[in-house]
Formats: sequence, C-alpha cells, structure tokens
Amino acid sequence: MLTLVRWSRYNPYYLDPETNRDAYTKPDTELTPEQIEERELKKVRPIKAAVAAVSSSGFNDPLMNKFINMMMQEGKKILARDIMNQTLESIKRKQVEKYHKAGQKAKMEIECNPHAIFHQAMENCKPVIGLASIQRGGKSYQVPIPLTDERRRFLAMKWMIAECRDNKHRRTHMYEKLSQELLSAFSNEGNVIKKKHELHKMAEANRAYAHYRWW
Amino acid sequence: MSLHRISLRLRRVATQARQLHVSGGGHQQLEAVAVETSPAAARELSFFRTTETDPACHGEVHLGQYYTLPPAHLRNAFPHGLPYRFQLQMKTFNESCVMVRQPALDIISHLKKTDFTKPAIRYLLYGLGGSGKTMSLCHSVHYCYTQGWLILHIPDAHLWVKNCKELLPSSSRPTRFDQPVEASHWLKNFKTTNEAFLPKLKTTQRYVWTKRESTEEGSTLAELVEQGLTRVRSSSDVVGALLRELRMQAGASLEEEEEGQGGALKVAVVVDGINALWGRTTLKKEDRSALVPEELTLIHNLRKMVKNDWRGGAIISSLSQTGALYSPKHHYLPQELLGEEGFDSMDPFVPVPVSNYSEKEFESCYLYYTDRNWLQHPHSRTEEGKRELVFLSNRNPTVFERLCASL
Repeated sequence: MLTLVRWSRYNPYYLDPETNRDAYTKPDTELTPEQIEERELKKVRPIKAAVAAVSSSGFNDPLMNKFINMMMQEGKKILARDIMNQTLESIKRKQVEKYHKAGQKAKMEIECNPHAIFHQAMENCKPVIGLASIQRGGKSYQVPIPLTDERRRFLAMKWMIAECRDNKHRRTHMYEKLSQELLSAFSNEGNVIKKKHELHKMAEANRAYAHYRWW
Repeated sequence: MSLHRISLRLRRVATQARQLHVSGGGHQQLEAVAVETSPAAARELSFFRTTETDPACHGEVHLGQYYTLPPAHLRNAFPHGLPYRFQLQMKTFNESCVMVRQPALDIISHLKKTDFTKPAIRYLLYGLGGSGKTMSLCHSVHYCYTQGWLILHIPDAHLWVKNCKELLPSSSRPTRFDQPVEASHWLKNFKTTNEAFLPKLKTTQRYVWTKRESTEEGSTLAELVEQGLTRVRSSSDVVGALLRELRMQAGASLEEEEEGQGGALKVAVVVDGINALWGRTTLKKEDRSALVPEELTLIHNLRKMVKNDWRGGAIISSLSQTGALYSPKHHYLPQELLGEEGFDSMDPFVPVPVSNYSEKEFESCYLYYTDRNWLQHPHSRTEEGKRELVFLSNRNPTVFERLCASL
C-alpha cells in the first residue's frame, strides 16, 4: 500500500472538502442555483480527506495557512508554524506594551490584534499593477498588465518572506525580522512597501508599451 | 478618578460584608452598597483581582484572584526568582500580578504557625509540568520577605549542575570543584535581597581564603559577601561559609531573644528544582570522567543547608522535571524525581501537590487576559472559543499561556 507524501494523487473524481462550519448552517433557501447543484454533487461523489493543517475552528485562517506554507522549507511545517506563532506573539507584545504605557487618547489609535495587523500589512503590500516581459520584433519589453487577486497575494507574501530572509542582519531570528517588517508594512513604511512603489513606478514609466498586451 | 476610587473602597466593603454572613440589618447595608457601586463590569473586575497586596492577609476568599506585587518588593525580593515567561508578561502588561492559589496558601498558613525552637520543616511542591510550582514558590517567598525573614533563594538548582564553563579545583579541599561564576552571581542577588540583615550579623569563626587574605572572627556578613564578590576565585567557599554561619545563627539568635535582645533571625531556604542536588551532572572532570553532584562545593553546602538539623526557619522547595538531567518527561512525583538517595535525605517533608487550574481559576485567568488586552482574536472572546481553549490546554497554566500568546 503506497502512501504518497507530495502531490497527492487523488482521482480527479474526488471533490475538495468544505471545512468552513458556517457553510453548513445556511438553509437551502438562501443558496444560489450553482451552490444547490454543488451540494447535490457532493451527495454522490466521494470527498478527499481534509489536510491536517486546516481545522473547522474559528481560529483557522486561510491567509495565515498560505503564509505558513510559503515560509516552510524542506517540509518542516511545525517549524514554520512555530515561527508564525512567535511572530504574532512578538507583534502583540510590542503593541500591548505600547498600549499600556500610552495615555487615554493614544489608546484608541493603537491596534493590538496581531491577526488584524498581519492582514492589513499584507493588504498594504499587494501591488495594484504588475509587469510582464513581452517579446516584439526581437526585443523584450516590460509591459504593465493587470494582476489577478491570487497573483497579488502571492507577490505580497513572497516579497515579505524574501525581504526578511535576505536583507536583514544574519544573527536575528526570523520571527523578530518578520514582526518588524509586518509592523512597518502596517504603517505603510519599510522595504516591502518601497518595492511595491518601485513596481508601480516602473509600470507608470512603461505605460507607452501598454498596447503590446493583447489579452 | 475620585469616583473610581470611591467605588473601589465600596467594592472592598461589599466583599467583606459578603464574607461576614451578617443578619438582616447587614443584608440591607449590603444592598445599599451594591446600588452605589458601578455596574457589572466593575463587579467582574473584582472577581479576578484583589486589592490585598500583603500575602499574610491572603485567605480562602482570595482563591483564584490576582494580587499585584508592589514594584519596590519586586526589585528587592526577586532579583532572580521569577520564571522567564512571567518576566516577559510583567514587561508587557506593565504590572506584576500573581494568582492566589491553594498550594501557596497552604504553605503560608504553615509558615505562620512555625515553631522556631523545633528543627526546620521541609515543604516540597510537586506536580505536573507547567502547573504553577515556581509561581507558588514565589508567592511564599513574597510572604517571607514581607514578614522580615532572611531569604536564601536558589532560583534553579539545575543551573549549577550543567553547562558550567569554568570549573576550578577547590582551593580548600582536594576532591571538590568550584564554580566561581555561578557562586558570585548568586552572592550578588543574595546581597540585593538581604541588604538589611548583612551588617547586623557577625561571623563566629576565622576564615582563611589564601595566604594573604582572611576574614577575622566577628566581622559582619556584609564583609564576607564583599570578599566573595571581589575575589571570584574563592566565591564558592564564601557561599559555604555564609550558609554555615546562617545555619548556626538562625538557632542562636533565638537564645538571644530569650535573653530579651530583640528580633529572632528567621531564615527561609528556598530551592527550586531541588532534585538537581541528588541527580547526575553533565559536567566532566579533566580526565573526562563524570562528576557526581557531591563533588561540587555549592551542591555539597546546599545539601547540608537543606538537612533539617538546624532550627529557626523553614525550607521551601519544589521539584522540576523541565530542567532535570537524565530523567524522563513523564516523571513528576517526589519518589521518581528525587531518586532513592534524595528521598531518604528529604524524608520527612511536607508534600504540597500543585494541580492544573480549577474551573474558577481558569475563569479568573481568562478574564485577566481579556482585561489586559492579551486575548485579541475575536473568536477567543466567544463561548465556543473559550471551550476550545479549555480543551486544547486541559487547564494547564503554562500551555494556556502559550496558546493565548499567539491569539
């Protein structure tokens, strides 16, 4: 009996599991026709087993899971998850310490929720427009193109991780580097935001070539 | 601000009135007071916090409530005693709050009734990993500090039997080994805690350190400690001499008291991770043979201190598997962790079991974290999230704290 570890080889007949608990609380009347059709299909088709990292609890966050997967190296999921938890803890510690030492008015401004900070920082790092290399008449030009939502999310996360791995002091821990970068991205400062702005500037500079795009 | 302070006083009156169980007239007074205090939020606040900062006054009514450690006491009584995670928490929340729990109350009530003419009683805190043994120990240390006892606090005996960079052969005895770094570090912290006592106590014997240095009979213990801090090579022997002096004088000053000469010297020997004294070490001699704990000066003198052949104080200790060497993770009982030799030396002792949080204590901890803005995830503030946290942590204090850290 083979147990496959990477690139699970399910028969394409199998459907993905629905892990969100709220999806099952909706009564039939509130669903669109496509959703009703999907539910009917799920009654007859077999379902894949759920991944171990995903749970139906309210603490589960898909963006967080994606980020942990991107940080993971050599399949060491536990290490990546621990780094993420330490990052959230260090962000929270800094913010809560600031909160408790601040005056009454300043307390309203300080955001203490590390998950909210993470989501907002990722939002701030997402580029609006991207560049693609298109060949025309022997030369290749950098052409501004629209990006899909997944591509934007992927670029934001990749830049964040690459920035923390490469451009920081060698002896600091990853969680320390990540927490600093996330906090500065939250307030629209830092190297990742700078990289996003540079991409936007390049796209603006190359807007003459925009008509080379044919899709 | 003043309105808030009034409601604080009235709240204390309300809780005290509730404890007294008075008759009809008192009940009317209670209702009148309840009307004047601020609404449910303030009453919830008093559920998990208490304004009583003196450990001597903590009783059954304060079980599960957090009391604040005054910053002045903190600096003097705990230069090195508190766990690392708790120190981080103190820095983040800008205050140091300790929960009043049953094991600490048991020890404190026993300490209140100690008979200083009888040999010192040994208290041993034991329990599963992360259940709060060190924090209960620190609570009793705070009690001893407020009552004016002399505190000998060894924060973690395991640190003395492992990872020692400099191991010197002892200058006084050929078979023993010294640890100058650990000894001098401990002496510095000892001095911070017991500044008041050292100038008053005098040595009873002449101690010779080298050919040119010696401490005369009748010099104060403050000079002895200075000697240890300045001459780091002989600091382990200084620790031994200090322990010997305190052992003799804890009993001796009682006789002075009978002659009417003033306050008795009460000595509290507080050791965390006492199973290190009778275990094995990871240290090696120069010929790469293993070192027995008996061959270390610090451990040898500490063993003598922990024996109950002296009067005038108490020995409070706790087991610890977390830092223990060569002991499996599932061991937590005294017999398993102390070994045969350790158990025979510690026998007889008063065992104090420390368990995970009860429902009330867990509720109190949860409310404290919510009040301090530590539980930030919106799902953790719901009933369902709380049930998940109870399930994941099994109400273990350390596990719960680590879970809440990332939420």
